[in-house]
Amino acid sequence: MSEQDTTHFGFKTVKSEEKADLVADVFHSVAVKYDLMNDLMSGGIHRLWKRFTIEVSGVREGQTVLDIAGGTGDLTAKFSRLVGKTGQVVLADINSSMLEVGRDKLIDSGYFGNIEFTQTDAQFLPFADNSFDCVCIAFGLRNVTDKDKALSSMLRVLKPGGRLLILEFSKPRNEWLEKAYDTYSFKVLPKIGKLVTNDEESYQYLAESIRMHPNQETLKEMMVNAGFESCRFYNMTGGIVALHRGIKP
Amino acid sequence: MSQADPAIHTAAVAALEAAANQTLKLDPTAYQRLSVFSGQVFHIDCDQPKFNVYLCPEQSFLRFTAYYDGEATTTIRGSGSEFTKLATSKDPGGVLINSNIKLEGDSAPLIELQKVLSELELDWEAPLVESLGDVLGHQLANIFRALANWGRKAKVNNARQWRDFILEEARLAPSRAEVENFFSANNQLTQQLDRIEGRLRKLQRQLSELG
Repeated sequence: MSEQDTTHFGFKTVKSEEKADLVADVFHSVAVKYDLMNDLMSGGIHRLWKRFTIEVSGVREGQTVLDIAGGTGDLTAKFSRLVGKTGQVVLADINSSMLEVGRDKLIDSGYFGNIEFTQTDAQFLPFADNSFDCVCIAFGLRNVTDKDKALSSMLRVLKPGGRLLILEFSKPRNEWLEKAYDTYSFKVLPKIGKLVTNDEESYQYLAESIRMHPNQETLKEMMVNAGFESCRFYNMTGGIVALHRGIKP
Repeated sequence: MSQADPAIHTAAVAALEAAANQTLKLDPTAYQRLSVFSGQVFHIDCDQPKFNVYLCPEQSFLRFTAYYDGEATTTIRGSGSEFTKLATSKDPGGVLINSNIKLEGDSAPLIELQKVLSELELDWEAPLVESLGDVLGHQLANIFRALANWGRKAKVNNARQWRDFILEEARLAPSRAEVENFFSANNQLTQQLDRIEGRLRKLQRQLSELG
């Protein structure tokens, strides 16, 4: 394998064209208990991270939002309420199992009038240029094979002045917190995964994929290189999670 | 935005939002009355303790956010004690004028909002009945109402009894009538002294003209 044809899948090096299938297997496996695991792993704090993301989005009534890797629809539900009857939210995910769980959950909760569901790859978004007021991707970018391609695609579909939000695990700002976080990620999380979903390997991948993801400053630079302006990030929970925001000029 | 962890601020705001909306549900007309403010944003910037929140009334929900990048309809800045006074005052306009609260934007919607919130009639019995059943819930609500009434009457009686004790029995302070008499006598004396002073100056002038 040449270096150009390879990428990382957690700590493993794999062929670029294989990564998407490997990631798909992970999410097919975890889809049904995804929300429960999020609550268990983060102690419910993920709801605060997502709430902050919604607030920073600045989404208003009548606007259009693209929720990439929207999975089980946490953010889509909130965006749906904000944009109202005159707006629209598109819940996009590359994984059919996650999309099914998300669609069922949203419909069962009464969210469906202004939501479209689409199975799509973040690197090749099938929407016209300048379509959305806001594009959001929460805990999904680290699973994308070519992040630069995905960022360019997101820029294209945003309207001028539109906002990109990337909520993702990042690098803790404090050495002690980082050590505690490593212990928790590699020793505890896979065990919770095994207990709850009988799938230790998927949560091992989760911990590894977080370590391979660009840190706060690097991701900000990638956004600038992709063409976004006014790029900044907000660290949360000591930098364990960061929200990056950029504007399409 | 402050450098503090946004997740902590968001948690506090989320808790406030939950508490406020749970309380509003106790008045069946609350959301209908608040819906007139739908689309408006009220920014409360407290400097003591340091806290920042935006209120965004919706059709059937009062949304609180920690972050808002648009322009607020009204921004008020002040201390926690001043906000408490404003929230509980029967004359919010007067409080705004006489306090150190700084206001930006349109004050009218804020004053209207304060009036609507202060006129809410919260039915505290409803959640009790829902949890404990009609009979027990109602009995418990009656007990709470009786306790609240007793508390109000006790407060008024205590104030009256302390006033009577200080004025009439311990004589630690003069009564209102005594104070008014004292000031009246004081004023008369001042006027008499002024007249005497005037006559003395006149006599001195006359003496100096003769001499």
